[in-house]
Amino acid sequence: VTIERAPGEARERPAFAHASEAEMARILDFYDVRWEYEPTTFPILWNLEGDVVESFAPDFFLPDLGLYLELTTLKQRLVRKKNRKLRRLRELYPDIRVKLFYARDFRAIMLKYGKLALVDSLSGTLGQVTPEREPGEADTSGAVVAAPAADPPAPAASVGPPATSAAHSTTSPEEAIAAR
Amino acid sequence: MTTADLDSDVAEVLLSEERIQARVAELGAQISLDYAGHPLTLVSVLKGSLPFMADLMRSLSVPVRIDLMEVSSYGGATTESSGLVRILKDLSSSIEGEDVLIVEDIIDTGLTLNYLVRYLRGKRPASLRICTLLDKPARRLVEIDVEYTGFTIPDQFVVGYGLDYGELYRNLRYVGVLKPEVYANAG
Repeated sequence: VTIERAPGEARERPAFAHASEAEMARILDFYDVRWEYEPTTFPILWNLEGDVVESFAPDFFLPDLGLYLELTTLKQRLVRKKNRKLRRLRELYPDIRVKLFYARDFRAIMLKYGKLALVDSLSGTLGQVTPEREPGEADTSGAVVAAPAADPPAPAASVGPPATSAAHSTTSPEEAIAAR
Repeated sequence: MTTADLDSDVAEVLLSEERIQARVAELGAQISLDYAGHPLTLVSVLKGSLPFMADLMRSLSVPVRIDLMEVSSYGGATTESSGLVRILKDLSSSIEGEDVLIVEDIIDTGLTLNYLVRYLRGKRPASLRICTLLDKPARRLVEIDVEYTGFTIPDQFVVGYGLDYGELYRNLRYVGVLKPEVYANAG
């Protein structure tokens, strides 16, 4: 017996930034769990002018579970930046549920599914897909140049609260890479 | 290969046979109390939960009917062809209007169980609860209400008492942590 999806429910594949994300999408599809890929970018740091200077876009949102999911295949010692961003996200948006899947978690899942060889090929940066950089979108220093939030906080605040929990912004390619 | 060879692949005995049996008896007593006067249908999820199912059902004092289900796992032979869970073995008879207890060996991500719960709810049982021998909450993706839990275990790869690696180790009488070198070079 195959449980078919309702007509029209077939998912188009987004351009995943990392092969591990594509694999996770296949797993979620397999178990019939609905997902959205990077639907929300949360501003987490603003400069004195009120511009968003750092943001965090969890890889997946699982709407039926009300859960954001972030994957990383970086080795444990390299995930400090991501952990910091996650802490900041949880401070600013205490009502959202977000789970970080570390490399060891992803490896354990792949071990369970008998696909350990695959995860070895995805670990670290080998699975990275370098995003195309839009002209003028980001500088070469790695500094984040994010679009302002929909309603940025007052310019006087260097670290301000989020304007709204649903605020969207654009994450630079450098940030997208560094955050993984 | 003998079970002694399998034993040598285990780094540590996490749950001894005696400890498992004692806990299963406790679970059986609690479930019997909760369902006193009500016939119960146990639905076991093949293959890992077979030993637990066999021991648990014999510890119950309420009338019990059993049924078995098997679903394909991600990464298995059917994954590439369908891309969806396949029910390899469905229930043998209707559970409509019955009190049903799903008997699981282990819950980690909760993905399989989440799917099964939705599937079984569609068959309109009077009640649907979950009993698992092992719970590994560190891996949880899908939060599921579990009524009866044998043991909450750390985030380690465990085998034995029904749990396998490469279809082996199921017949160990205890739950043990598999040595990483056993699967380190596996594909």
